[in-house]
Amino acid sequence: MQFASRRAFFYAAAAAAVLAVPAHAADGPAAQLIEKVAGEVIELIKTTQGAQREAGIRSVLERYFDLTYMGRAALATHWDGTTPAQRDRFLKAAISAEARAYAERFGQYGGQTLAVTSVSNRANGVFVVASKLNQSNGQPIAIQWEVRDSGQGLRITDVKIEGVSMVMTRRSDFNSYIQNNGGKVDALIGELERRAGR
Amino acid sequence: MVERFLNVFAPVRRPALAVAAAAALLGGCSRDTGANEVWDPLEGANRFVFSINRAVDTIAIRPVAVLYRDWMPAPAQRGLHNALENLGEPVTAIAEVVQGDPRRAGTTLARFVVNSTIGVAGLFDVATAIGLTKTKEGFGNTIGYYAGVEPENGGFYIVLPMIGPSNARDGVGLAIDASVDPFSIVAFSISSSAGWIYAGARFGATVIDTRSRTLYALDDLERNSVDYYAALRSAYTQQRAEIIRQKREKTGPRAELERRDKLALVR
Repeated sequence: MQFASRRAFFYAAAAAAVLAVPAHAADGPAAQLIEKVAGEVIELIKTTQGAQREAGIRSVLERYFDLTYMGRAALATHWDGTTPAQRDRFLKAAISAEARAYAERFGQYGGQTLAVTSVSNRANGVFVVASKLNQSNGQPIAIQWEVRDSGQGLRITDVKIEGVSMVMTRRSDFNSYIQNNGGKVDALIGELERRAGR
Repeated sequence: MVERFLNVFAPVRRPALAVAAAAALLGGCSRDTGANEVWDPLEGANRFVFSINRAVDTIAIRPVAVLYRDWMPAPAQRGLHNALENLGEPVTAIAEVVQGDPRRAGTTLARFVVNSTIGVAGLFDVATAIGLTKTKEGFGNTIGYYAGVEPENGGFYIVLPMIGPSNARDGVGLAIDASVDPFSIVAFSISSSAGWIYAGARFGATVIDTRSRTLYALDDLERNSVDYYAALRSAYTQQRAEIIRQKREKTGPRAELERRDKLALVR
């Protein structure tokens, strides 16, 4: 009996070892993070609508994205000239705007799945996770995720859709707005807050 | 004095601007702006053309594109799209020869022959079904492929009337595409009115096809940006750069990562 159970243990261990072999070429903590985020977002799209979905998206952004890093990158040189209070207001307004944008962006769930295709990691600790968003109708969409650890575990710091980086686009957008409003960051913060309150 | 001059361009990082200014003084017009800031010396004029384009879009193009997307049967939309893409295959093949890839050009020509005959004047993409994969090339990509600069640097940014976002590289590319297009050459050799009818019909169909396919993405970008002009300028530049970067085989993913490190979004 004892022998049998030991053998059962051996089989279980062997099975576990086989299962532990990565199911796809790309694995590791960065790929797992992206798969987890994609899974949560797809679940949100399937089960929620409107304000509830927006709150869910906001929670995903807050838990898995390094929003301070992204905000800093988006404000670029203007970040250094801002007070902590301004930074707080800016980040709050920008996160609200992004959460609403993402909640509206996804309509009904249309059978999309996300597959991680490769992970490249760099000596400086940045991972770039390449993935494909497969759609039931139409071409798959290439999405690249930039993942790095800046003190709170691995967090996402940029999303590139078909080569277009979210942070880079916001950076151009925000900087141009600031430039056209007398170089004042407050003008941008005010505009973002106005949009968030809409 | 120089510092005061530089302050005019406050959002541009100063060392970067100084380097660029030095390069511009030393080396003429070429400036490696990277992805940081799109070089847009004509911004005032561009914003003006952009606003006219938007007005024309709002009153004329967008409504037609919406009707087309929502009411034209999907197979008809696919057919028109395929036919327009088929008309572009000869230019793609010529560009691929110039890019030094005659094998790929051969596949493109085979696609053109198959789709123009069995595919009924290009309405059906039979070639893809039998394993002849599709590419889309033009002289904008070709210039970008050979230019020894970051693909984000396409020269100065320009908003073209009716066509929209472009830059020096892609604008010249479009002009070359049009001038080597065999269909256009044949049509204009028949008579100049035949040429203009061909060019106008193809352009009109392309505008509706393209606009109906970009409704979602452009609506999204417009709704979620505080400066739509700047957001579109950035997105256009990045997307074109991505396509050209993929063409340069030497710059694999690792080179791309190193480029992003150097770019150092946060200092």
